Amino acid sequence: MLNVIWVIMVFSGIITSVITGRTKEVSDAILSSCGQAVNLTIVMLGAMCLWSGLMKVAEKAGIVDALARLLKGVFRFLFPGIPKGHPANGAIAMSLSADLLGLGNAATPLGILAMKELSGINGNSPVASNAMVMFGVINAACIQLIPSTVLIIRHQAGSAYPSSIIPCVWIASLVSALTGIIAAKVLERVSKDPGRNGGKVLRYLV
Amino acid sequence: MAELLSNAAIPAVFLFIVVTAFIKGVPVFDTFVEGAREGARTALDILPVMVGILAGIAVLNGSGLVDIMTGLLQKPAEAVGIPREALPLLLIRPFSGSASLGLFAEQIKEVGPDTFLGRALSTVMGSSETVLYTLAVYFGAAKVKNTRHAIAASLISSYAGMIAAIFICRIIQ
Repeated sequence: MLNVIWVIMVFSGIITSVITGRTKEVSDAILSSCGQAVNLTIVMLGAMCLWSGLMKVAEKAGIVDALARLLKGVFRFLFPGIPKGHPANGAIAMSLSADLLGLGNAATPLGILAMKELSGINGNSPVASNAMVMFGVINAACIQLIPSTVLIIRHQAGSAYPSSIIPCVWIASLVSALTGIIAAKVLERVSKDPGRNGGKVLRYLV
Repeated sequence: MAELLSNAAIPAVFLFIVVTAFIKGVPVFDTFVEGAREGARTALDILPVMVGILAGIAVLNGSGLVDIMTGLLQKPAEAVGIPREALPLLLIRPFSGSASLGLFAEQIKEVGPDTFLGRALSTVMGSSETVLYTLAVYFGAAKVKNTRHAIAASLISSYAGMIAAIFICRIIQ
């Protein structure tokens, strides 16, 4: 829960900065982070418009539907509860493909669109559904065929074989994704109803 | 091959969607603008979430907490085979994209990109994501307040991947 995590971040950070005498650095960093957030949003504003527009066109043309039908087997396990032929299927498929291809500027807007579709199925509830959590976890696991940013930095650092890490990256990503899927499936049982029977402790943990 | 694929992917998808829609008689541009307008609204909805998250991360980055944590975790980490030099990146990676990228770019020059440590750091960086930011943006856009087990499961996944990355680099030379 961000309500708790945010307080921990701010509290521990500021107390530490007082002890280490870095209050000036922290103060500068806070102020520049606001500008950074606006910059990121502006960059994303354009990409978000483009992909939302294209997805709307794809939806009207029946492409999203066709994509969803193609992938229904995998999705039934990972995201149970999405109605057949719902645009969420297509949106998830598009978003995960963009992740895989490492299209950073497309992946985030498409991921947001997919999350909003999933939220619609969940009645736009302020409490995330299992499918929404699973989608978030898979995205956070960073499935990517070519880690291009890392390869560029390796090249700049004078590596003789910048791409030699790719097999290692694939295995590590796979470990991460599988652990995430298992963790999400296991934890969804215990965090089912975070208001009742001992859910109080859990609510702060997760 | 892979590079060609990622370069051609966006134009190909763009062309395919527009042509298919045109053939099916969809008013392509009007529909695009309608969707784009919704997209603009979503992006602006995310701005407050971004400001909050980035400010929180800025506090952590500026405070020197990572250095203190590295000192504390050094012994237990080395006991299980995680090199001390990798700790700062492991600690910061799930929370801050820009800080971890900066740290990585600096460290890889120091240790050399083709040494064990250089490869391990590269693999950690390449196989992980800025978990907190990703989740905050996605759930923020969907206006979710209670993310349930999303953060816990993602952090478990992230650390499993990053620690695996180090051991994989020991095995695959």
